[in-house]
Amino acid sequence: MQIRKELEKVPGYEVADHRIDSWWWLVVAVIGIVVLLATLQPDPYWRIMRFVSDGLLITVGVTLIAFVLTLFTGLIAALGRLAQSSFIRWLTTIYVEIARGVPLLVQLLFWYFAFPSLVQAFGRLIQYRPFERYLANPFAMAILGLTFCYAAYMSEIYRAGIQSIPKGQNEAARSLGMSHGQAMRYIILPQAIKVILPPVGNEFISLLKDSSLVSVVAVADMTRRGREFMAANFIPVETWMMIALLYLIMTLISGRVVAWMERKTQTESR
Amino acid sequence: MNQEPIIHIKNLHKHFGQTAALNGVDLDIYPGEVVVIIGPSGSGKSTLLRCINRLEEFNAGTVIVDGLPLTTAENINAIRAEVGMVFQSFNLFPHLTVLENVMVAQRVVRKRQRDESLETALELLKKVGIPEKAENYPGQLSGGQQQRVAIARALAMNPKIMLFDEPTSALDPEMIQEVLDVMLQLAREGMTMVVVSHEMGFARAAADRAVLMDEGLIVEEDVPDVLFSNPKAERTKAFLSKILV
Repeated sequence: MQIRKELEKVPGYEVADHRIDSWWWLVVAVIGIVVLLATLQPDPYWRIMRFVSDGLLITVGVTLIAFVLTLFTGLIAALGRLAQSSFIRWLTTIYVEIARGVPLLVQLLFWYFAFPSLVQAFGRLIQYRPFERYLANPFAMAILGLTFCYAAYMSEIYRAGIQSIPKGQNEAARSLGMSHGQAMRYIILPQAIKVILPPVGNEFISLLKDSSLVSVVAVADMTRRGREFMAANFIPVETWMMIALLYLIMTLISGRVVAWMERKTQTESR
Repeated sequence: MNQEPIIHIKNLHKHFGQTAALNGVDLDIYPGEVVVIIGPSGSGKSTLLRCINRLEEFNAGTVIVDGLPLTTAENINAIRAEVGMVFQSFNLFPHLTVLENVMVAQRVVRKRQRDESLETALELLKKVGIPEKAENYPGQLSGGQQQRVAIARALAMNPKIMLFDEPTSALDPEMIQEVLDVMLQLAREGMTMVVVSHEMGFARAAADRAVLMDEGLIVEEDVPDVLFSNPKAERTKAFLSKILV
């Protein structure tokens, strides 16, 4: 706090701070447009909003669940790529290459349409009834597909963050008798988090947008609900403009939150 | 000294790819001894030091510390907890306060209670002369203060041996003495110390033995006064003439 007060006396500091905050006005402006459209032209805009609102909740739910799973899976994959065992390194590297090399849409189609058939075939092979009758749950498969792909990108962010911490930090921790895991948990990761917070936030925003792809695998997210509305009403311009604005509100707010967290971690403790 | 050596190094070899760093080093260090290692850069002195707590893996030879050979992972972690190390670049943990830096390994490795580790940490910060900086972060301290915290952090584990890897080389001249004073005090208390340093004053005042290394081998070793003023080997004379200008 002391440092912040000192900094505020420096000319230019206040201005820079203010400029970043001012981007909140963009959020307010977009929300304002949506509210205006919905109140001044309830038909069709308010009707569209009501129709897709359940899809909006699905979009948020899919994104949040997949993001939390991505944070965990990505960390495990990153630790795997930095593991001492060359077999584990090899295994995780193959995973990352596959997950980054196949288009997300193709991956989602695979998990929803191909994976259940494989499970059924395997069930017939081992004569296990529950597998033979396996049916894919669209919501679960969509989350699996998004997590599988995004965890690979996330693992690269973690890895870069971990590797950005000077080697001496690990040496100091190990020289005090800490195990590899203890050094990671108490010394390396807490420092790496500050480095990776901005790119992780950007991944969240990407994930939010890419979640629209799950509309092709029978998940009734906002994009799919928009298609359904359009099929019934034939007003593409109004429908897709409203859907676009709703996505924009969510991504802009997320972007502001990421920027705020970034500033918070940078002013703290140094 | 007819005790068992606390550090026993026999025929130690280490190479980085094609470059040899250690070419068969033999060195015994006894409890309570203070040994200073000098030598030109690239002579292998830091590598030798880092082999004692296995921060560096070696290719051939034996290192036995406190009766335990450095072979299994268990032994290595057990040894590291008994061997404190102080680095040239301090390597304090920047995300933790000074106090937390001195407490973290006590809590995590020694599994001490919070109160006990706090008490130990405060005591050690007093000992190195900066109790008032306990709540500060390392970035707010001078180099000399940081290095003293690093010494306190290592001492918090109650080590039997302290290794110093050029502890004053990264310091401004006016801060060197405050660190050397702490090291001198430790030496007087009977700590076993292995110090890679060119601080001749410290070596004369505190060391029982000075060792000159060159090209991965020990060239000559003797009582510091004798080694510095009356070296036998040509290599030692040449090196000393350069640093004693």
